[in-house]
Amino acid sequence: MIRLDSVTKVYKGGTVAARDISLNIRRGEFVFLVGPSGSGKSTLVRLLLRQEQVTRGTIWVAGKDVTRLPGWKVPFLRRSIGTVFQDFKLLSTKTVSENVAFALEVIGRPRSVIRSQVEQVLELVGLNDLGGRYPDQLSGGEQQRVSIARAFVNRPLILLADEPTGNLDPATSVGIMRILDRINRSGTTVVMATHDHAIVNAMRRRVVAIDQGEIVRDELVGGFEEAQQEETPAAPTPILPDLSLPEENANGPV
Amino acid sequence: MGRFIFLVGESLTNLRRNALVAAGAILAVFISLTLALGALVINELLRLNTIGWQQGTHIIAFLKDPDQGGADPAGQLAYRDEVADWEEVEAVHYVDKAGAYEEFKEIFASRPELIELTDPLKLPASLRIELQTIDLYRDVQFRLTANPVVREVRSFGEQIEQLSTISRVLNLLGWGLSLVLGLAAVILISNTISLAIYARRNEVSVMKLVGASNWFIRVPFLLEGLIEGVVGAVLAVLTVWLASRNLHSLGDTIQLITLSIPGQFFLRWGVVLVLFGATVGVAGSILGLGRHLREVDS
Repeated sequence: MIRLDSVTKVYKGGTVAARDISLNIRRGEFVFLVGPSGSGKSTLVRLLLRQEQVTRGTIWVAGKDVTRLPGWKVPFLRRSIGTVFQDFKLLSTKTVSENVAFALEVIGRPRSVIRSQVEQVLELVGLNDLGGRYPDQLSGGEQQRVSIARAFVNRPLILLADEPTGNLDPATSVGIMRILDRINRSGTTVVMATHDHAIVNAMRRRVVAIDQGEIVRDELVGGFEEAQQEETPAAPTPILPDLSLPEENANGPV
Repeated sequence: MGRFIFLVGESLTNLRRNALVAAGAILAVFISLTLALGALVINELLRLNTIGWQQGTHIIAFLKDPDQGGADPAGQLAYRDEVADWEEVEAVHYVDKAGAYEEFKEIFASRPELIELTDPLKLPASLRIELQTIDLYRDVQFRLTANPVVREVRSFGEQIEQLSTISRVLNLLGWGLSLVLGLAAVILISNTISLAIYARRNEVSVMKLVGASNWFIRVPFLLEGLIEGVVGAVLAVLTVWLASRNLHSLGDTIQLITLSIPGQFFLRWGVVLVLFGATVGVAGSILGLGRHLREVDS
């Protein structure tokens, strides 16, 4: 689903954000990108979205060579990628429903389709009663759910999340991770850049650790830190009592 | 259709949010096109008012009497035929002394004492000359003056030339000002669009993230510029048209000149100016988009 071949990104000032990175992410995987601030996680996300161009190397996303994609085709690439950010990026002048519908309106979906898909996705994120509210009338967790709903309403093949729990308290973060987990179980590949030790350790998914633009660790079932993984048993941490979802939820309206 | 309505809705939202700046852009287009159309109207009025002169008699050559060294009536008629053969001349009409007196009586009908005091024999015969084109009047005037049978030559060419010069200056001034103000309108519209992009940078950023095509993002801003240009142009055409109608009613009180412009003139130039306004609006939008859309986080 995503493949990076010897990708290097050097910014204008000479900062190397990615150094000869090669990575292969299969369809339906849930991958954490971990590492300290400035390690290159967000750059990787931006490269996948073609918000930045590589300096060297090749990136394949959903069968497309992103590095050679002409500018006019980039919007079509982005339609197959949902994005969630730490700052939610919601439009304050639009209601919850309108924010979610906006993602479909701008790609020209018919009104009837928009209405039904918005309803379904709001139900998925548990906001079906809050569709008429404005972002400033919601808590941080609720705003992030709207952001996820908007990212997923088009049923993308890939969901990229850049620090989606960065602004949230641990309990709210659990709710967000449950939704991302549910989305992943529906077949969507999820790539999440995060600082959140507890979540990474609790989820027990593939972990790609990046430091100074290089992949320093890639584990199919990993924790936030290698050492911590050895000290900590595979069981989830106390703040994340159970992230595995019951089957009926997983097969819900996704 | 739904997409079109969405795009128009987005443009109207832009205009509402930047109402003051948009009003400035509309005003710039309005002023520039009002000046342009005003100059055109004045030019048209000059043309309409001089068309009679241009198509009628251009030169009058008063002839000497035989006792002043001139020709007798037969000789004067022969001279008429000679002038009629000149290639610059379209037609020549001979007015003898009796004809001149009749004309004199017509002109001074309100002053009978003057008519009574005037001796018909003192009025000179004349040749009324219509030229192929008015531009040739100097050559013909020179040739007539050189002939000893001619007493005096009067020509309307000079007046027509002066009016043509005024018309040319007005035209040049009008179009020059319109071009400068049109350029100002393009810059103002471009700034309006830049401000609109800045005001909606979050929306544009989200649109880019969720895969809106470049044209889908651009169209509302292009429509915004188009609306500003067209509204400014329509207002300019309406203003000049209304002013011209008022001028027309004023013209009823002035008998000698016409201040009436045909409706077709406004229709023709109205379409041209609205198209020009639309072009100015779209050009301004493209300029604003090019400069600022790339700066919004892609």
